[in-house]
Amino acid sequence: MSKRKAPQENPNEGITDFLTELANYERNVNRAIHKYNAYRKAASVISKYPSKIKSGAEAKKLDGVGAKIAEKIDEFLSTGKLRKLEKIRQDDTSSSINFLTRVSGIGPAAARKFVDEGIKTLEDLKKNEHKLNHHQRIGLKYFEDFEKRIPREEMLEMQEIVLNEVKKVDSRYIATVCGSFRRGAESSGDMDILLTHPDYTSESSKQPKLLHQVVAQLENINFITDTLSKGDTKFMGVGRLPNKDEEADSPFRRIDIRLIPKDQYYCGVLYFTGSDIFNKNMRTHALEMGFTLNEYTIRPLGVTGVAGEPLPVDSEKDIFDYIQWKYREPKDRSE
Amino acid sequence: MPEIAIRHVVSASSSDTTHCAENLLKADTYRKWKAAQPGEKQVSAILQFEKEEQIHSIDIGNEGSAFVEVLVGSSASSSEQNYEVLLVTSSFLSPSESKSGTNLNRVRMFGPDKLVKATAEKKWDRVKIVCTQPYNKSLAYGLSFVRFHSPPENNEIHSKTSSPVSIPITPDEASTSASLKPGALFFSRASKPLASPPKASQNNQPSPSYAAASLQTGMSSSPDLAPSAAEKPTPKAPPKEPTPVKRKFEFSKENTSLPSAPKKADPDTPRPPHPPPKKHKASPAAPPKTPPSKKSPQAQPPEGSSEGPFQHLLQGTVFVLSGFQNPFRSELRDKALEMGAKYRPDWSPDSTHLITNVPSSNHKPKTPSSPPAARPVQKKAASGEEEEEEEPSTSRNSSIHNNSRAPGDDSAASSDDGEPSGVRDNGEEGSGDTDDELRRVEEEHRKKQQGGRGAAPEPEDDPYGGTTDENTDVEEKGEPDQPIPELPDLFVGKHFFLYGEFPSQERRLLNRYIAAFNGEVEDYMNERVNYVITAQEWDDTFEEALNENANLSFVRPRWIYNCNERQKLIPHQPYVVVPRV
Repeated sequence: MSKRKAPQENPNEGITDFLTELANYERNVNRAIHKYNAYRKAASVISKYPSKIKSGAEAKKLDGVGAKIAEKIDEFLSTGKLRKLEKIRQDDTSSSINFLTRVSGIGPAAARKFVDEGIKTLEDLKKNEHKLNHHQRIGLKYFEDFEKRIPREEMLEMQEIVLNEVKKVDSRYIATVCGSFRRGAESSGDMDILLTHPDYTSESSKQPKLLHQVVAQLENINFITDTLSKGDTKFMGVGRLPNKDEEADSPFRRIDIRLIPKDQYYCGVLYFTGSDIFNKNMRTHALEMGFTLNEYTIRPLGVTGVAGEPLPVDSEKDIFDYIQWKYREPKDRSE
Repeated sequence: MPEIAIRHVVSASSSDTTHCAENLLKADTYRKWKAAQPGEKQVSAILQFEKEEQIHSIDIGNEGSAFVEVLVGSSASSSEQNYEVLLVTSSFLSPSESKSGTNLNRVRMFGPDKLVKATAEKKWDRVKIVCTQPYNKSLAYGLSFVRFHSPPENNEIHSKTSSPVSIPITPDEASTSASLKPGALFFSRASKPLASPPKASQNNQPSPSYAAASLQTGMSSSPDLAPSAAEKPTPKAPPKEPTPVKRKFEFSKENTSLPSAPKKADPDTPRPPHPPPKKHKASPAAPPKTPPSKKSPQAQPPEGSSEGPFQHLLQGTVFVLSGFQNPFRSELRDKALEMGAKYRPDWSPDSTHLITNVPSSNHKPKTPSSPPAARPVQKKAASGEEEEEEEPSTSRNSSIHNNSRAPGDDSAASSDDGEPSGVRDNGEEGSGDTDDELRRVEEEHRKKQQGGRGAAPEPEDDPYGGTTDENTDVEEKGEPDQPIPELPDLFVGKHFFLYGEFPSQERRLLNRYIAAFNGEVEDYMNERVNYVITAQEWDDTFEEALNENANLSFVRPRWIYNCNERQKLIPHQPYVVVPRV
């Protein structure tokens, strides 16, 4: 999933923006993933609020907004800014960490390490390329391109190319472009392709060839230009649309391909389609119904809480059926 | 891979009057175990093995369940908590199949690789089967059969390798492992009896031992287990219903609520073609004590299987049976039918022979009209067709009712008196005289009325609950063997609060125990609470609660269970939760 979430437009954009910024700060600088989730949840619920919020108390009625966030909303509404955020922004370390994590391949831990070593800017990174690993170098090389979001039209074009080439290799492949694109987003941060083949199940042995021949084919047609990492089941790399005449070069895009056993494919598709908040809610509901759901399987829970055998799943709808939820199209899965 | 013999059903959370849990013990797959009502969230049954066994593989035939889980435990620790998962929750029906009611009878065989290894390596003598069906609220679901196999003998090792298809399974079953075709189970019935004899004889063994056990322990509590239990055809001593003897008082049994009656069905019933030889020896004068079964004709060998003059030996004979009880009765009948005789369930103008084991010479056939007149109303529910088949059932059933209606002390005493005499009549004089019988029935009916009055009504004994076309191997007996035990007021004046996560079943059980012993369960933490029951480790909230109420005790659920097991208030101190250091 992309690091860069699509910007949202709503009457409370100011609030959701500062909440998202706080969320990122907690994740990147403090590595406090639960605070990150709390801010994200609040931002998400406020972004769906139809009218302009006038007070913290009003926001507090929403599920996911507690006393502390309500306080911050009050402060933001009365002063137009947030002291905590100002402090964070002024704090050189945290803003540098926040910035470095925007480079593909640099996570919060690596960013903190670089900042501790005095590497705080793109220029610093370029001067210290020997300290970067392969992935980070490519992330640095395509930094500007990777910052750009991918318009839906381009995603559609890329999808067509990929699905075509996959079919050329073997028509029995099943491939799905997941992520926010599948949910109908107007722009995406990267391209996430899930791939499976009927011959490959969790019972059978690993078949890296099934992944590698697809990658090779996409490299042959110069769609894939760089490889960040390539394992038996997961490829991470860079690709772009072929240049059209007289136009500027197409930007380079981050592309992930995952090979998933057929029996786990739809749990994977569900998971990688997201949104992450939707996934969380769906898992909660699954637990309430006595199932445990993850990106691989859905399993029933026994009377003592022991998870049962993976249930056969042949479509995303099967998973909804098991937990007796009405099927939701990808576009309806924002939460 | 020898099949593990199951002795009896310890309890079932729910079971249909016809499709009772005992059916799981029977070889015939057309006998199922189903929930009492459609739409139950979960049903479970606990089975008792003959002895400790290691379980190597399990075959399960489904009857509408979406998921089935198998846990194992040991009867030495009677706690609900000590069950371990042997077969994790496994899927038998997809949601759509559940909704459309297709493939309801799928059979799955779980070899050693499918079982939880650590659990499968140990020996157990109890299994708990948990079925769920969340997708179809109008389906009464359960299982059609379950079989357990112990590890293969050395000479059978080859079968251990990969194929989960085990040897004792009949061929038709093996071939339908993926999904049964409609009627396939039905089809298999013909071949079933061939496969069943070993199992049947195994299953019979417990009965004498049960009788012995009951002789030792059951005298005071269960009047029907009089010293003659083994010899006399007491219809009321189901050989495989050990609960009254073994356990003082058990919630799970009581949990079964309404239709617990079928649980008492005599498990011997299904095997009329193979009457237990032991019983013949024990009581040559009196036939085995199984109540008549409507199903027995179904299981008998197909007629006309033997050709030739043998078939015509008894041609022209129209016979009536008297004084015999199943399965011997049905065996007799089957043999006579094979030889070309005609059978009448009751004396009729065209009857030519009365076959009876009653020595008395004044036995006279009753007129067809008399038995209905003699029947008490309640009997309807009890026995359906069986009444027409067998005369003694009249008095027997009524005496059963007599007992089942007698939860109170004095009424228990009255049944104490009434029962043995009725039984004796049945056993020694067969049906006896119609008039005698009428009188007796009336008398018992009257007693019952007296005895039943003032005592708590037993809901399961609904006189109109049954239908006449029910399978009559199900004797409706309610909980006849013992008066409901007095519940000690162990927890009177004590307030409890259940804190933290419990599996819903356990929570329910705890609530019930506390309520049963007159304790109070508080929904929320408040100042009246004396005991906090929790399965969790110490945490800060405990500290806070202690600050508010210094008299609080944090206790493990085990305490409650042990209080129940000993039926007295035991010190809670050994069970308290203490802060971790």
